[in-house]
Amino acid sequence: MASNHINSILSSILQELLTQTEWMWLEEKGGAEPLQLMTAFVATPRFVGRRSVTISQENTIALNDEVPGFTVTDWSTVRLSRVWLLTCLDSSDQETYVRHIETLFDTAEMNELVALYSALPLLDYPQKWLFRATEAVRSNVGDVFDALVMHNPYPAHYFTEAAWNQLVLKTIFNDKPIHKIVGLEERANPTLAHMLSDFAHERWAAGRSVAPEVWRLSSGFMDNALLEDMKHLLASEDPNDHKAAALACFHATSSAAHTLLAQHPVLEKAVQHRTISWADLEFNDLNTYATKP
Amino acid sequence: MQQNHKNQEPNPSHFEESQGTSDQEVPTHRDLTWDEYRDTIQGMRFFDPHIHMTSRTTDDYQTMFDAGIVALIEPAFWLGQPRTGLSSFKDYYSSLVNWERFRSSQFGIRHYCTIGLNSREANNEPLAEQVMEILPLFLYKEGVVGVGEIGFDDQTAAEEKYYRAQLELAKQAKLPVQVHTPHRDKKHGTERSMAIALEHGFDPAWVIIDHNNEETVKSVLDQGFYAGFTIYPFTKMGNERMVKVVEQYGPERIMINSAADWGISDPLALPKTAALMKMRGISDETIRKVTYQNAIDAFGQSGQIHETDFANGLEIDQSQKMNGNTILRGGQQPRIAKESLFIN
Ligand SMILES: [Zn+2]
Repeated sequence: MASNHINSILSSILQELLTQTEWMWLEEKGGAEPLQLMTAFVATPRFVGRRSVTISQENTIALNDEVPGFTVTDWSTVRLSRVWLLTCLDSSDQETYVRHIETLFDTAEMNELVALYSALPLLDYPQKWLFRATEAVRSNVGDVFDALVMHNPYPAHYFTEAAWNQLVLKTIFNDKPIHKIVGLEERANPTLAHMLSDFAHERWAAGRSVAPEVWRLSSGFMDNALLEDMKHLLASEDPNDHKAAALACFHATSSAAHTLLAQHPVLEKAVQHRTISWADLEFNDLNTYATKP
Repeated sequence: MQQNHKNQEPNPSHFEESQGTSDQEVPTHRDLTWDEYRDTIQGMRFFDPHIHMTSRTTDDYQTMFDAGIVALIEPAFWLGQPRTGLSSFKDYYSSLVNWERFRSSQFGIRHYCTIGLNSREANNEPLAEQVMEILPLFLYKEGVVGVGEIGFDDQTAAEEKYYRAQLELAKQAKLPVQVHTPHRDKKHGTERSMAIALEHGFDPAWVIIDHNNEETVKSVLDQGFYAGFTIYPFTKMGNERMVKVVEQYGPERIMINSAADWGISDPLALPKTAALMKMRGISDETIRKVTYQNAIDAFGQSGQIHETDFANGLEIDQSQKMNGNTILRGGQQPRIAKESLFIN
């Protein structure tokens, strides 16, 4: 079983959210033998009503202490119940445990996949789920992709650099907000910064834009190529591009970046006085595929 | 078409063997053109409780939508050739609850399915055993409205064994059962299917006996089962005869389907039959029951059909990347219906 602690935090959250009948059903299945538990995982919507999850601040803190970055906010009761069931699965025999989880993946429909990917940071033998996790990045089903990529600490902990870079790149490519990726700053790397630069050049060539927020990933790696991108942004017609360049240069260690920023004193002041920050550029509704006029 | 028929290979599908009068029958619904019947079914909506969309095209979805089909049930069936391993069963069942459901939604049609091990493949016992193990994981999924299509083909001992085992699964999962009746020795196979269901304690109102004809319908209805009728070209049941069945037996517990699949079949069999019934003076209420409501009542016992999901039309907008997923290929223009499903 996954950490007893996480199991009991989730139990207490569920007991507050579920009716007594729902909880009794779930609790019984949580203690059942694997095949029954797995069937219950599938059957959850037949016995637990779909409502949205709200949790106390106390439980939010408890969850974050146990698994940093992990959250159940915005989940449904069905998703949370399913994840809880997975934390009840006996993991003492690795081979059996892995086979059961794999079977659930193999037979899952979309909502089940969402629950399975949401549960990855709580499952035992985390290395065993790497292949599945990279499959989610390849998924063309948005909810499944989001379950792995948004507010999920698993990839930051276990992905190789190449897999991580694909995850970030695909998030941007799909016009999804990167600030919801856990571990974004910690896993920034020069390869990714240059992939983003190449990607931006393709978009610009096609007369399209790139979400300004992506430049936060380039701060630490400000070489000549990226400096050229900063100049391009500063010359853009979109004021958000100016803010992105200013922030990226400001947070850079390179003195050339600081020199460049100094040529735009209004922006420089705004960053220094914190009247602009990356949070201003954290848009959820991106529309970078629209051709710029 | 009629002339060709006699020289043609038997249709290798649900109704591979034409017998008796069927050879003489004109498959009238094949000849109906849209212009001839669209006015008669204006404003009607249809629920096709048996159609294999996996083997149909995008064009079919579009014309079905235009003809007023708002929802359908895709029963798990065979692929025309036996599957060789468990993985292909898993992938097939998964596609019914994932991709095909999504694809259907993109054309404004609500997709449900029934899941089961079909009779032909029940004869491969080692594989059948493995399939039985994973069936519960599919039967309890959202939008799975029954166990089906199961029953007899050759009427072998293995078929009976897995038919019975799946009846038990259906009872546990509280799901209706969709029974495929055999083409050969149909009358006997139908009686046997019903007797076994009753033996397992089924309320006949939870069992839909499919592919009926004039020879089987009376007994099916008399015993309290639902009677499904498949309108399928070159086979025993054309829609002119369907009209007569409805005239004779009335609308209670009768439902019509197309069973369209990879054979020569017609995904518009349902609206066309409705049009024919209308032309023959059958009441709108009767037509509504046999082409819409009875199927919803029967399969709705699963608790998985929510009429509000489709009664007023699914919102379709292919330009929206629903689930971030799209059926459109680069540069294609999306088809967007902003109004209701009903054809005005
Ligand atoms: Zn069929």
